[in-house]
Amino acid sequence: MTEIDWPWQYSFPPFFTLQPHAETKVKQIEAWKHLVINYFHNTNQFILDVREVHNGPLFYNSAIDRKLSPEIVLIILEELAKSGHAIPLDKIKQRWIVSWHTLEEWSDIIYSWAQSNGFIGSVCTFYELREGDNTTDQEFYGIDNDLLVRALKILENSNRAELIIFDDNEGVKFF
Amino acid sequence: MRRRAGVGAIQKQKYEQERYKDKGTEIQENQFEQMTKQLEVFRINLEEFALKHKSEIKKNAQFRKQFTEMCASIGVDPLASGKGFWSVLGIGDFYYELAVQIVEVCLATNYKNGGLISLDELRDRLVQARGSRKEHQEITNEDLLASAKKLKILGNGFSIVPISKGKYLVQSVPGELSMDHTAVLQQTSNSGNAFISKSLLQKELKWEPERAVKALDHMVKEGLAWIDEQGGEEPLYWFPSLFTACIASKT
Repeated sequence: MTEIDWPWQYSFPPFFTLQPHAETKVKQIEAWKHLVINYFHNTNQFILDVREVHNGPLFYNSAIDRKLSPEIVLIILEELAKSGHAIPLDKIKQRWIVSWHTLEEWSDIIYSWAQSNGFIGSVCTFYELREGDNTTDQEFYGIDNDLLVRALKILENSNRAELIIFDDNEGVKFF
Repeated sequence: MRRRAGVGAIQKQKYEQERYKDKGTEIQENQFEQMTKQLEVFRINLEEFALKHKSEIKKNAQFRKQFTEMCASIGVDPLASGKGFWSVLGIGDFYYELAVQIVEVCLATNYKNGGLISLDELRDRLVQARGSRKEHQEITNEDLLASAKKLKILGNGFSIVPISKGKYLVQSVPGELSMDHTAVLQQTSNSGNAFISKSLLQKELKWEPERAVKALDHMVKEGLAWIDEQGGEEPLYWFPSLFTACIASKT
């Protein structure tokens, strides 16, 4: 796993208790948002399940024996959702996509890749985009499928692509 | 049989006393004149010296300290002299410039320490910020205290809190710290930790629980302390300004 550059707050025990003072709380949530995005980016993860928050080190610092409760994790996710960096996957908001780019940013990244690599007018499968030989050096290599589909739908809505299904495969045609 | 004092003797005694007094005054005046002359010479020499070693005074911390001590001994405050000869030297400017940089560092770190910073951290950051631009001038804690004092004229938004021998916190938020709040910081710092609790204050300072709660609550409301509810039976109050990882953090 990639080394995480933990911020000083991560070793600061009260960081794991929701602060009652409004101004301090704003600083706290802001620091958590940064940390969560960084962590998911560095570990190349996309899915956060609120029921499993203490399985990894992000919300459980065993060195100082402090845990961030699922309730506070939810508050952070709601804040991340406001800036487009988190998307709930179910109605009860247990499974979330966490992403260091917004959907708009991802769609632009994918479309410029298609443009500069001559894929305009051709069809790519989702698998090719996620794990194909042509995308290994791309930031979206290894992207979560749900996230990919949502980003491609933005391209579809702006008439830059069309999602198609063929031979049990799902793909996209770029215009 | 002892001769009783006559009128003549009394008059003679009185006359002698007056003569002594006159002589005394004369000597005193002489000495005073002498001293004034010496001081004047000293002052002129000091000015010449200062002018000659202007850059050295600005650059060398040890030199600067001795120079300000010399100034103090004859009642010259190079910091207070904005006009005249001493302003030409720019010694005051040196401290005013420092004062501005102190404010800058305090503002820049406010977001994480709530406006409370240890003098050591302040110096480290300040020296770093000045960088090579000033040919690595040495800045001592005494320099910082001297210029921080100048900032007091800005009102109670800026104060220096002595914590223990040679250790200070600089507070840069409005809202003065009371004796109790200072005591909380001192107690925390002296314990070698960055946290304190109600029961610790009761035990160490012999405070009533209400007094401890009131002081701690105030410091939370001022954004100086963070509450930790996973530290045992009672909440712990942590101060980022005393927390090593926070002090060392680059951001």
